[in-house]
Amino acid sequence: MIKTLRMTLLGATSLALLAACGDKTETKSEDAKDKSPAFASTYQPQPSETTLITNARIIDGTGQEIDGGSVLITDGKITAIGTDVSGDAAITIDAGGKYVTPGIIDIHSHLGNYPTPSVSAHSDGNEVTSPITSEVYAEHGVWPQDPGFDEALQGGVTTLHILPGSANLFGGRGVTLRNIPARTVQEMKFPDAPYTLKMACGENPKRVYGSKGGPGSRMGNVAGYRKNWIKAQDYKNKRDKGGDGFKRDLQLETLADVLDGKILIQMHCYRADEMVQILDLAKEFDYKVTTFHHAVEAYKIGDYLKENDTCAAMWADWYGFKMESYDGILENVPFVHAAGACAMIHSDDEKGIQRLNQEVAKTWAHGNRAGLNISKAEAWQWLSTNPAKALGILEETGTLEVGKRADVVIWSADPFTTYARPEKVFLDGALMFDSDTGLKPKSDFRLGFGE
Amino acid sequence: MTLRKTLTAALLLSAISTTAWAQDYFISDAKLVTNTSQGVVENADLIIRNGKIAQIGTDLSAPANAETISANGRWVTPGLFAPYSRLGLMDIGGEDVTNDSSSGDSETSVSERASDSFNPKAVFVANTRRMGITHAVISPSAAGDSIFGGTGAVINLSGEYDSVEKPRALIFVQLGESGTHRAGGSRAAALGQLRAALDDAGAYPGRYKSPTDGDALSRQDASALVKAAKGQMPLLIAADRAMDMLNIIKLKNEYGDLDIIILGAKEAWQIADELAAADIKVMVDPHDNLPVSFEAVNARLDNVVLLDQAGLEYAISNASGLGVQRPATLAQHAGNAVGNGLEWDKAFAAITSTPAKWFGLAGGTILQGSGATLVVWDGDPLDVTSAPTDMFINGDRQSLESRQTALRDRYNPTTDDTRPFKYR
Repeated sequence: MIKTLRMTLLGATSLALLAACGDKTETKSEDAKDKSPAFASTYQPQPSETTLITNARIIDGTGQEIDGGSVLITDGKITAIGTDVSGDAAITIDAGGKYVTPGIIDIHSHLGNYPTPSVSAHSDGNEVTSPITSEVYAEHGVWPQDPGFDEALQGGVTTLHILPGSANLFGGRGVTLRNIPARTVQEMKFPDAPYTLKMACGENPKRVYGSKGGPGSRMGNVAGYRKNWIKAQDYKNKRDKGGDGFKRDLQLETLADVLDGKILIQMHCYRADEMVQILDLAKEFDYKVTTFHHAVEAYKIGDYLKENDTCAAMWADWYGFKMESYDGILENVPFVHAAGACAMIHSDDEKGIQRLNQEVAKTWAHGNRAGLNISKAEAWQWLSTNPAKALGILEETGTLEVGKRADVVIWSADPFTTYARPEKVFLDGALMFDSDTGLKPKSDFRLGFGE
Repeated sequence: MTLRKTLTAALLLSAISTTAWAQDYFISDAKLVTNTSQGVVENADLIIRNGKIAQIGTDLSAPANAETISANGRWVTPGLFAPYSRLGLMDIGGEDVTNDSSSGDSETSVSERASDSFNPKAVFVANTRRMGITHAVISPSAAGDSIFGGTGAVINLSGEYDSVEKPRALIFVQLGESGTHRAGGSRAAALGQLRAALDDAGAYPGRYKSPTDGDALSRQDASALVKAAKGQMPLLIAADRAMDMLNIIKLKNEYGDLDIIILGAKEAWQIADELAAADIKVMVDPHDNLPVSFEAVNARLDNVVLLDQAGLEYAISNASGLGVQRPATLAQHAGNAVGNGLEWDKAFAAITSTPAKWFGLAGGTILQGSGATLVVWDGDPLDVTSAPTDMFINGDRQSLESRQTALRDRYNPTTDDTRPFKYR
């Protein structure tokens, strides 16, 4: 089901391997005898009713706005959308002209692996023991009781991507989660979403390892990437050949999976010149950089990003906390978008994730003030559509289109204002947050402190 | 303006200047937020003369020689006042040599003045000004083994060399987990250090035969604490846990007339009545709703709404790391308080007149005769899609350009400029 998109993202070379992570039916028929993958998703949508939302101002995530529209949700999927929708529904919600949008997707979060309370025992996002830790998986550090998940849901976030930190050149695998209140991370894992690999540019790796054996400079960073891609090529060749002599290596397995197009690169990189160096590195080893994260200077190289079909995930107004973030401007996201490249917002923050719509509203307004003419419906793509694309899950979520998961938010007001709040949040058609009734999740950690 | 500045600089050391040489301005047809009991005046005209609001009316004519700004129904409000920041104390937080916000290796504490470290030309000043902030408290943060950050100041954001308006405006004290760590490891040690320091200040200068005779403070630092110990200057104390704040109330009862503002106050809603009865003020961030530490397990989004209901005096700050470094998004934080149930007027006062009053500055309101510190906005100032179009600080028209707008203009995709980027 998500094959098409992933191929678009990764190029045709990965065709053979995609079957292994295609949809469930396919996997079952082809790999019936195989063990299921380690730490497989056990996500189950909550029970849902057939729901018809009427009289809504729909921003659908494809760039369209539908006034006086309706959305029909059946068995957790969107089964009809538009101005002429009818159907038998157990529940009909008259939105009263309010905004209805796709659920928000945050491509850069550390909820669960840097959870609150932020005590030292909770610091599970960076394996700062070596600059090369492609063998670690973010999901193994995710605590599902992080109260931040619950607050993010109330901010309209239905899917989020948890990444290892940026201390290492190769930080480890990222995991895409449904924002479902759950006991285990496996219950949250987005079924069949591709893994990602977190890599990091610039100041962080050289600062962390400068006095611990290196890298100690940007030169050392790039040498570190290249040495390990060479090892990965060699490993991949051996793995492709197979045979008794082949020995599994977790670290190289992740890198080889990148070369095979199965794992998407999510790379922390601030400076424009450095991002273009990385695009060259990817060409040398024939892999794709799916997204640059933070990308504070992406506005300087929108043309390069467009040409390489590489996305940029950005903040609205974070900058200036270190040298490589000094040139941040408030129009970064809209400028990248205007260059024809794939732009999106991200939080990297347990508070920012609760109001990503405001972050988009801010940068959208600044962009238009600078002379652009971007509609709200177009700008919404920075909140759900483009993150879904960059995570390889756009076939399943990110827009309100027939056949997709019914990840839907009904807003109290125009989400492009400070005052709007999600009123109802649906995940696979199931109502998970409702401000009218007070329905909301509460982490175990929040219990028993009294008031 | 250049002439005026030269003359002003020659005549006055203070930035609060109203001189006969100022350009007059006429602002027409504004939606005027007076930030007083007079509320909002629609279709208001304002005349700015000699740096002051000379006249407010609805059918005024532009005075001869006045420069006119047509607001066309847009909002005009007092400038925003950031109640807590480190603005101008650093260029890049992560580069120690550019960061003067604390001094872990110094021998002094209370007596260190943020105003001595302040650089009005740091790019964050202009980058923050263009988002509607005209004034800010700047404060050093605690470091080393002292719970005292030092002496905070009030500055304006004109970016001029004379923009420190009140060099000694507050004393900053760090309690809670961070202060506990500095004091040696327990809350008892931190409160003990604070009591000892107040005693030193109370017994100054008699207790000091030599510079090191104090229990907690050197002679120099005790001297700097005297006014705060007498309640003549605010003690800005960072604390979040309800129990820590109750201990601050006790301290106030022990020491009499302390003027206490609690910064953070994430659990204040639990003891709102006690804080109100003790006449203690709080500075809260309406985005603080997570149990970020064991001293904030009961943080909640509507803290400020509950404090308002209890009748507490409060200011709103952006307490995040970046919000303290440069409080450009202050209005968003106030706007979210409104989104969570606070009345607009109250949220706006909490980022203007309320903190101005606390730190002894006139301002934060627009009335006939008041100083012309105001902002013209292209929309509701508390909405994230709005931004200033014009600004005055103490009667001087301000530039809304900054290093950020220079970068924006160089790389604007709508530009017709085809020269190489470095030549634009």
